Amino acid sequence: MKRLLGVALGVLTAIGGFVDIGDLVTNAVVGSRFGLSMVWVVAVGVVGICLFANMSGRVAAASGRATFEVIRERLGARAGLANLSASFLINLMTVTAEIGGVALALQLASSVYYLLWIPVAALAVWLVIWRVRFTIMENVAGLLGLTLIVFAVALFLLKPDWGALAGQLAPSVPEQETVWTYSYYAIALFGAAMTPYEVFFFSSGAVEEGWTVKDLLQERINVLVGFPLGGLLSVAIAACAAVVLLPAGISVTSLSQVILPVAEGAGKLGLAFVLVGIVAATFGAALETTLSSGYTLAQFFGWSWGKFRRPAEAARFHVAMIVCLLIGMAVLATGVDPVQVTEYSVVFSAIALPLTYLPVLIVANDPQYMHEHVNGRVVNVLGMVYLVIILVASLAAIPLMIVTGAGS
Amino acid sequence: MLNTPDSVPAAQITARPAAFRARPAARPALVALAALALLTGCSGGIAQSVSTAVKDSSSAVATARIALRQDMDGKLTKAATDTSLEDGLKEVEAGRSSVLKLSPATQEERVAQKQALDVLDQCAAGFATARAALAANDGGSPSLPDGDKALADAQDALKQLEGAVGSR
Amino acid sequence: MTSPSGPLPPVPRVAGRILDAQLHLMDRQVLDHDGVPVTTVDDLEVSGPALDVEIPPGTAPPVITALLTGAVLGTRIFGGRPPSSRLIRIPWKDVAEVEVVVRLGVSGEPLDASWVERWVRDKIIARIPGGRHDPR
Repeated sequence: MKRLLGVALGVLTAIGGFVDIGDLVTNAVVGSRFGLSMVWVVAVGVVGICLFANMSGRVAAASGRATFEVIRERLGARAGLANLSASFLINLMTVTAEIGGVALALQLASSVYYLLWIPVAALAVWLVIWRVRFTIMENVAGLLGLTLIVFAVALFLLKPDWGALAGQLAPSVPEQETVWTYSYYAIALFGAAMTPYEVFFFSSGAVEEGWTVKDLLQERINVLVGFPLGGLLSVAIAACAAVVLLPAGISVTSLSQVILPVAEGAGKLGLAFVLVGIVAATFGAALETTLSSGYTLAQFFGWSWGKFRRPAEAARFHVAMIVCLLIGMAVLATGVDPVQVTEYSVVFSAIALPLTYLPVLIVANDPQYMHEHVNGRVVNVLGMVYLVIILVASLAAIPLMIVTGAGS
Repeated sequence: MLNTPDSVPAAQITARPAAFRARPAARPALVALAALALLTGCSGGIAQSVSTAVKDSSSAVATARIALRQDMDGKLTKAATDTSLEDGLKEVEAGRSSVLKLSPATQEERVAQKQALDVLDQCAAGFATARAALAANDGGSPSLPDGDKALADAQDALKQLEGAVGSR
Repeated sequence: MTSPSGPLPPVPRVAGRILDAQLHLMDRQVLDHDGVPVTTVDDLEVSGPALDVEIPPGTAPPVITALLTGAVLGTRIFGGRPPSSRLIRIPWKDVAEVEVVVRLGVSGEPLDASWVERWVRDKIIARIPGGRHDPR
């Protein structure tokens, strides 16, 4: 019974933890501009994140090593440092976007201007990282994030024409868009579903929680059940936008537009749920990305790290995270639009994907680390297929960004 | 190679493996990208900018109308409506300032700029009315229907302009 | 052990495991005797004859004298060499075990390699309330 509860908790946390500001914004933008014609991208992204989160979790459980230690050992110092710089900067961008997302959601709840919420949000993130236990932090954020299910509830309450909605599922470019903007947003959506920080966080989290090979089954269930359900949540966000915003000729550029379909379908109660959900999801993701920036730096340079240690026993790790939060705050204080930061961060995540996934794939095949838990043949074939997809997305992202003027 | 030295030798070298030599960094791809950026940045012109501004603003006005209607139906809290209107106004302002910055070369372009500015001003005024209505939600004037009316008029003007820009 | 002329002799048999410095030592995580991360192996210090000097027959083979860390990572990547006095060394005699990670047989706390960690802890982290709070 207790074991079953543990499994349920893990799955629920994975669902709630799947959605972050990148998923929220990108799915709403895509839904409002392209309808449901990109659901296939979410599906591809979800299978990809299941594959690689599972793999990096297995590496962490079998070898006790987190992703970035392994990246440096495999790539060497020079390529490792290049990888660290890119991954770290993109992660920092995501930290900034998530904190901005918390602030925007709090503005929606209070009408107090979001810039005033930013120091509050950043301080709260730091306090949780400083004091709260890892498992509590993970579970509370994940469970509160589950309230985002209200997107699915609202979709039903909106009573859409299900046949017409299903008709949008086929991949096709709407007439007011070009094939270039379509491809650009497809890559953004893919990047939002597969953000690299999830892999850093997942593998480091497995070390934090002291996972061993015995926990692999639980890990597999969390990922294989939780992430696809989280993906369904993403699709519900896009569908809500497709039902309410697309016909009105609205293309999403702010978080206040993301919540309108929920209010339309489920009224003030739905609004309350969605605001709690957005705050929890972005706050949880802000914790994860901030920790990830600490993890990547500490693991590359071999510092002592982890929330399971006292802050004084992982001093550089904690200082690095404080500095990251300060930088994120400083960037937001310039008045840059957090939604725009988010849109760029998901595209750059897509660009950086091969940097993370290739080393994970290599190490997952290395018996020196993995012993008998190396990748099976099926996983390797899937891994290679995804490596090709990831490489294509990564290489196409910047040219598409230029051609489409970042999707405008 | 794993034995401890019995005496420290006079000269010590740090190991510097051959694998870490600098690679030649020729990046023709980057140059091509820069050229592409230049090309796309220069194309378009006035009609393009006006049409982008109009499209963004009509999306913002449509959002504001939905938010106002939801507010009147009791589906949206005042804080959320207020934030929606603020975001929409920001969008319109951004479009307006981008049109304002254009430097038209022909008479036709000057007319297009003037028309767009008039309509975008009307949009901004519509937002002002709507926000005032929301703030005066105690039965005073303007009322929320007044705000919605102002936004609806702005929306009509935008549609006409959109048609005009599209036909040019 | 080398003959002055003739073909090269076969590689002498060595008792124990053969380690590739590049593959098994460089960039590996270093843990102290309690399993606490100390640093990463940023470079190695090898005893041996000076560069560009004819090696006289009968010279003892070079051995690793220390693991290096600190600024040497920068110079390893971007070129150059810090002065010998600036190298932060973990003497090879402190190394207890080489597997996926390098384990030391001593505590990491008093090592030179930990001075930045100690400084950050004493000057910043320990001064913030709760810095020594045990999260468990």
